Formats: sequence, structure tokens, C-alpha cells
Amino acid sequence: MTGSIPTDPAAFFREMLGQWEKMANDHGTGMMKSSEFAQAMHGATAATMQAKEAGREFMTRVLAAYHLPSREEVAEVAGRLQAIEDRLAGIERALERLGGAPARAERPQPRRTKTPPEKAR
Amino acid sequence: MSEADLLERARLEFDRAMQRNIKGLSYFASPAPVLGASPKDLLLQRGTMNLYRYRPMADEVYRVPLLLVMATTNRGYIFDMVPGQSLVEFLLKAGYDVFMLDWNPPRADERSLRLEDYVLDFVPRAIEAVAAETGEPDFTLVGYCFGGVLSLLWAALHSNGPCRNLVCFTTPVDFRAMEMFQAWADRRFFDVDRLVDSFGNCPPDMLYAAFDMLRPGARVAGNIRLWDNLWSDEFVQSYRMFDRWAADMLPLAGEYFRQTTKLLMWENRLYEGGMEVDGRPIDLGRIAMPFLHVVAEHDHIVPRGASAPLIGMVGSADKEEVVLKGGHVSLVAGANAVRRLWPRLDDWLQERSL
Repeated sequence: MTGSIPTDPAAFFREMLGQWEKMANDHGTGMMKSSEFAQAMHGATAATMQAKEAGREFMTRVLAAYHLPSREEVAEVAGRLQAIEDRLAGIERALERLGGAPARAERPQPRRTKTPPEKAR
Repeated sequence: MSEADLLERARLEFDRAMQRNIKGLSYFASPAPVLGASPKDLLLQRGTMNLYRYRPMADEVYRVPLLLVMATTNRGYIFDMVPGQSLVEFLLKAGYDVFMLDWNPPRADERSLRLEDYVLDFVPRAIEAVAAETGEPDFTLVGYCFGGVLSLLWAALHSNGPCRNLVCFTTPVDFRAMEMFQAWADRRFFDVDRLVDSFGNCPPDMLYAAFDMLRPGARVAGNIRLWDNLWSDEFVQSYRMFDRWAADMLPLAGEYFRQTTKLLMWENRLYEGGMEVDGRPIDLGRIAMPFLHVVAEHDHIVPRGASAPLIGMVGSADKEEVVLKGGHVSLVAGANAVRRLWPRLDDWLQERSL
């Protein structure tokens, strides 16, 4: 702030907002840099992970009892299918190349002869 | 302020208040702007890896193609927001043949991807594809943030390779200087092994929260500013673009996250020495191609201290560091980037792209 009496309330409000943001950032980052904050944050993350692990174990048992795959198993199968599709695409490209298809795109290629424009002195 | 000025000011604020009400309604009813829409072809897609070639917008291009490597935490459309605010479009119109290595969210089965997969597989495959597509033996590599780290690691291992020029945007090397991330990654409290073993891939909401906490007041102030500027179409469009991009974070492959946490955040090996990729030592001093590092003066994600040592570590004779006003994102996209980074980049590349 300049120290003069503000005559424009809108400009004053915007300046105050900027000041508040700076203060909140400085104060907040100062606090969050502390080891106490890191400890509390990771304590909360650990609790989330513990709950997730417990939930996953429980669901896996329930699904196994009904002879159903778990989410992880479905995701793994989906991942393997995707990997097979990726490999098939690779084989397809290799076959196209072996079959004589041009490696470079069929689209018209630009001329690669551009030089820098003359700079104004 | 005179009485006439005060009246004019009041009239302007009243007008803006009216516009806020009208446009505020359309803000919630209208779709977000379409981002990343420059015409492009997908050349390679393998799991998390995408390689695009943007369709040239000039009949004549510089001989040396340009490969952008995006950070693994975010989407590559930061380089291609909307027409007029797209670095890709700018480069295409300036006569560059532009490719981009961009990332999909890693799948559950890709949790085992390691730094080696990125540096010794994804980046080299993209480079091979660029060469096959253009018929040119060399190229310019441009990495943003952690995309810059991947580019540096690759370049250090291929100092006699085909890379003609290396450009990094705000790339960290001294991870000790990333004070906030250091505090949160404190190995006394942060059990990265348990996190990776439990979640598989590092969840994007965790990363988003970490980035958001770097500026705790920014979200509230940003929302108030949005309300204040609802009358301005330009402001609203810009806000929506950046807000959408920032929230569109990617998970990180589990092993890759574990490795980067231990090797870079905990042991700071890139700066202090001892960094290896697949057992091959990394020495940035071996990088010899022309090198440009562009950093932002007010970068809250990669502070100056984390990026500043890079220029001294790279061995190139032709090297330059440029410090521009702006932040981590506004360095590469938005109105500031249009005025500052883009022309500077074009200027540096022109003579080196023949």
C-alpha cells in the first residue's frame, strides 16, 4: 500500500485482496514447512492407506467367496489386454513396413528449407 | 480524485456489476473452452506414452524438427491452449515442424514403469519416430519441468547423439532447494514404499493437493478475482483454461515415483552426484549441444534455487540461461508467454534449426 488515503474503493479492494493473498501464502507456507505439519499430513495419509488396505482385503474376501474377480484383477486383465493391443499395433506397423509401405507419412511434407527472416537493423 | 472521476468510476463499477450478473449466469451454463485442438496426428501410442505430430501451418519449415517433452504430472495441452494462446500454433506458424511426447494416465499394470522406461525407452522411441517421419537425422529437444529432467538424463547419456539443440523450461536439478516438497517428502514421516505398495500408482489428487498447498491463499483469492472479473470475457476464458489444466493432473507410475522420491528428493543425486539410469552414470557436464534454459522469476513450483545451478552443470560451449518475469505456468502459456518466452524461443532456435 502506498500510505495515501484511497479514493477508489474498487482499487482499494483489489489491493487488499492482493495483500491478503500474499500474507496467506507467506503464513501458510511457513506453517506447512514445519516438520509438525509434515508429520500430521503423513499421519492422515497413513490412516487413509490403512483404511484402503483394510477395505481392499475385506472386498477381496467377499468377492472371492462369490467367485468374482476383485477390482485389481479386472484392472490387471484390462491392462494385459491393452498391452496385447499395443503389441499387435506394433506388429501391424512392422508388417506394413515389410510390405513396402512408406515409413514417412503419405501426407504432403513441407519443404524443409526455411531460413530465418532478415532482422531489421 | 475529482467529482467527475468519481462519477465515472461509479458508472464503470455499476456497469461491471451488471455484466457480472449477466455473464455469471452464462459462465455456469456454458461449456469450458476446447483445449489442445491444433490439428495433429498420433504417431505412437503405447500405454502411458503418446507421440503427436502437429500438422504444419507453413509450406516451408526449418530443417530441424522440434520435439516437446511434457512433464509427467500434467497434460501437454498447456502448450496448445486455444488459437492465439498456443505455443504449438505459434511455432507452427513460425515454420517449425512440431512433435510432442505427451502422457496418458499410467494404467494399473504400468505401476512398474521406472525412470529407465522413460529415459531409455519412451524418449528414444519418440526420437526414432521423429527421424522416420521427417527423414532428418537431428532434432531439437524441448523439455518442460520434469520433462526437462527426462530430456537432460537422455541427453547426458547420448552426448554424441542426434540431438542438435536442447531447451529446458524451468527444470529443477537441485531438489534440496524445493523447500516445500522437501518438507513434505521428509523421509522420517513420508513412507513412499508404503504409498506405492498400497496405491500402485501415485494418485493424482495427492499430487494436486501438494501443488495447491504451495500457495494456500491462491484458490480463495483466485475465486474472488474471478467474481470481480466476470464482466471480462478474456479474463474468464483464461481462468477457465488454466483452472482446467491445473486440475487435470496425471497419476505417476508407482516405481517411477518411488525412484524419483528416493534418488532426487531424498538423495539429490542429480545435483550432488551419483545419479544413474540403468546403471549408467549421469554427468550433465557431458551435454555438449547448444543449450537454452528458460526460467521464471516467480516460480513457486521450481524455485530459482532449484533451477539456477543447471546452466553451470551443462558442458555445452553454446549455452544460455534466460530469466523471464512470470511463474511456472505463465512462463509457457498465457498472455505473458506470448510476449516474453515465445519470441525469445523463436529467436534462439532460428539460426540453430537450419
